[in-house]
Amino acid sequence: MIAKIVCYALNGLEGVPVEVETDVNKGMPSYDMVGLPDTAVKESKERVRSALKNSGLLFPMNRITINFAPADIKKEGASFDLAVAVSLLKASEQLVGCDTDYVFIGELALSGDVRPIAGLLPILISAKAHGFTRFIVPSGNAREAQYLGGAEIYPAATLTEVVRHLAGTQRIPMLETAMFVPHAGGRVSADLRFVKGQPLARRAIEIAVAGGHNVLMVGPPGTGKTMLARCLPTVMPDLTFEEALEITKIHSVAGVLGEEGIVTERPFRTPHHTATTVSMCGGGNHVVHPGEISLAHGGVLFLDELPEYKRSTLEALRQPLEDGKITVSRAGGTFTYPARFMLCASMNPCPCGNYGSAERTCICTPAEIRRYRKRISGPLLDRIDLQVEVDDIDYDDLTSNQMNESSEAVKERVEFARRVQRSRFEDYGIGTNAEMGEREINEFCPLSREGDDILRAAFERMHLSARARARIIKVSRTIADLDGSEEILAKHVAEAVSYRIYDDSIG
Amino acid sequence: MDYTAEERAYLWLCACTKTEYRTRVALLRAAPSPAALLAEAETYFPAAGAEKSFTPSRERREKEADLFLAGLEKKGYFAVTLISEDYPDALKNISLPPLVLYGAGRRELLGARKFCVVGSRLTPPWAGKLGRTIAETLSRRFAIVTGLAEGGDLAAIEGGMSEGNLICVLPCGLDECYPAAHVSVKEKVRKKGLLLSELLPWETAKKYSFHARNRILAGLSEGVLVLSAAEKSGTLITANCALDFGRDVFALPHNAGARQGEGCNELIKRGAYLATKAEDILSVYGMEAEKEARMELSSDEGRVLDALKDYGELHPAQIAEKTGLKIFEVTAVLSSLEIKGAVVRGGGNHYNAI
Repeated sequence: MIAKIVCYALNGLEGVPVEVETDVNKGMPSYDMVGLPDTAVKESKERVRSALKNSGLLFPMNRITINFAPADIKKEGASFDLAVAVSLLKASEQLVGCDTDYVFIGELALSGDVRPIAGLLPILISAKAHGFTRFIVPSGNAREAQYLGGAEIYPAATLTEVVRHLAGTQRIPMLETAMFVPHAGGRVSADLRFVKGQPLARRAIEIAVAGGHNVLMVGPPGTGKTMLARCLPTVMPDLTFEEALEITKIHSVAGVLGEEGIVTERPFRTPHHTATTVSMCGGGNHVVHPGEISLAHGGVLFLDELPEYKRSTLEALRQPLEDGKITVSRAGGTFTYPARFMLCASMNPCPCGNYGSAERTCICTPAEIRRYRKRISGPLLDRIDLQVEVDDIDYDDLTSNQMNESSEAVKERVEFARRVQRSRFEDYGIGTNAEMGEREINEFCPLSREGDDILRAAFERMHLSARARARIIKVSRTIADLDGSEEILAKHVAEAVSYRIYDDSIG
Repeated sequence: MDYTAEERAYLWLCACTKTEYRTRVALLRAAPSPAALLAEAETYFPAAGAEKSFTPSRERREKEADLFLAGLEKKGYFAVTLISEDYPDALKNISLPPLVLYGAGRRELLGARKFCVVGSRLTPPWAGKLGRTIAETLSRRFAIVTGLAEGGDLAAIEGGMSEGNLICVLPCGLDECYPAAHVSVKEKVRKKGLLLSELLPWETAKKYSFHARNRILAGLSEGVLVLSAAEKSGTLITANCALDFGRDVFALPHNAGARQGEGCNELIKRGAYLATKAEDILSVYGMEAEKEARMELSSDEGRVLDALKDYGELHPAQIAEKTGLKIFEVTAVLSSLEIKGAVVRGGGNHYNAI
């Protein structure tokens, strides 16, 4: 008899329905799998055999053919195990008269346990969109699955449970839909309140988050650049459910989803500077795994010691920084992952780190400093709107009594500025000032005469590029928004200009 | 470019023979004229102990000279010899004047009054900005003479560039560029000002060429302003040359203990003029500075500038404390003051008034 069971393969962030057809015939005992299964899928034979045996079920000693349809897409991973086992049981008439109208997803252990898989949530979302509403999933993935809603989801811990459920002897309790609560993890340890001093860097961070700009912090080693960066997610607006779902999909595919089952905090990714271009952008042999920039989607990508990263890796960031997504092509297909992140980078002012310090002497020659700074290309620097110097730590005591504002207070101002931007860009399909194009700049950023004078003077004095000019205007717009000002005033432009410290060089 | 027969022979001696400076001087003394040297090299060279350093056929020597001049012409360079009309008089009066100067750009600047502005490569930002302002004012009366390095030289170049009254003397040939990163600066100077070098166009910078170049800087100029100099610094060589040649030496005063200012303070102790603005220099030469247009400042800008003038180098947080403004307001005010040229940003978010 032929059994048909539905399960799902993953193609990027999209689930693709796959039918597992099993035919058990009389003849010499054999076991064939067709329909482009990869090694992990073929190996399911041994797992299924042991799992059946150890669950007290029978592995048919007949001529068995298993087909994965459609046959033209490559099937990877162990998530088909459960479907294969159920279809075998059905084909060998061990599940007579049972309702098997579910989508089965899960990997089997030899003992018959059902193991969790990576990428369950994107599969469930796609399957729901395809009209499937009943799922049997690994109980280890239950936390992730409970946010789907509008579907019957049964989390199974063992194959025996599945069989009893299908036979109707012992139903698995249906998973209850959970409500999304931002910051459910409650593990936030960073807070701007704990950052001592650094009034200028704080302000830069506030502007950066408010307008979705990228930020570069320059300062001597050990002055709190990393700590400041860690505070970035704490001042960003809370995740909405849609955002959380999209981020969770990516994290689920990459298999880095935490305990909560859904991402409730904005991601903060800190790839080490030895990271390769592939780990940064995504890659893999057949199926492309999302890279760091996709994992940072909706959050912050923090690159500590920016000049130490490989040049090619940094240059690869340029296009995603503009488009908010990355398309990776491999033999197995072309995959597009979202990658709209906020770039936060830090670096020392020179190789020894003391350039410009009042207390310590810099021992670098001008040529060394130039070489060091040249490791960051102009086009990349151009995309970083705010460049701010982090103070030497000695200035703490000067200011610590008045500047210790908490992340919560900053976040309120940020959310106010974001609201202003949302209402402004309602009909333009963008959300923040940083995403403005030439058309929006012309429409929303008229400069006063004084503002224009300042920009003109800065342009000539600091040898700015045309792109830098547009970036300064965008930052001015954000500063004006934070100020609650409809118009961009001269002081807003002046402040924006002060965040371009690295453009000031001749030649 | 037209050269007289004498100039041509002079250039042949300096460019096409394998002689040293001393031998060349001896040869020039021995022969009645440079042209005679070229024509009758067989007579004069062995007498000066240089029998192997010239080409033994007159025809070939003529050809060498023509080739060399054509090469200069092709690259757009000119050569000024000690016997040329526009060789700067001031330079003739130093010991070991360069026999030939190769140049590219505005030759007429050779005849202008010249003033030298130099500083070490690690010139602090405030000294750089101040030097730039001074150079800009001076460049309306003088051609600014300087090198091509970072720091002080670059400040002088930026100041002098506005009027184009700028002479950069290279420590290498005109084809070369030292430091290599300043190629674009070199090209700008060539377009708007004048590049000079005593070395053949293809010669690279040697350790000793900097010392030799510094003597030309001092020799060309009526006075030298030192923006910054450490205790042991190439900039001090220029200042010492200037003293030897009887030129005026000016120096910016620095904080006691600041490493990049020790040389300047030492110069002042030894009797150099203390200069803090262009008028200090102009008055020595009996000139008056044009009245600068008064800067228009808003009340906030005035308060911030006053605080900086009262307390010296400050961090925006300190300014905020002293003026009662918010810190980000201070940043905006400082930025606009910086654009107006009234303050300068140092490292680590520190600001100075200038």
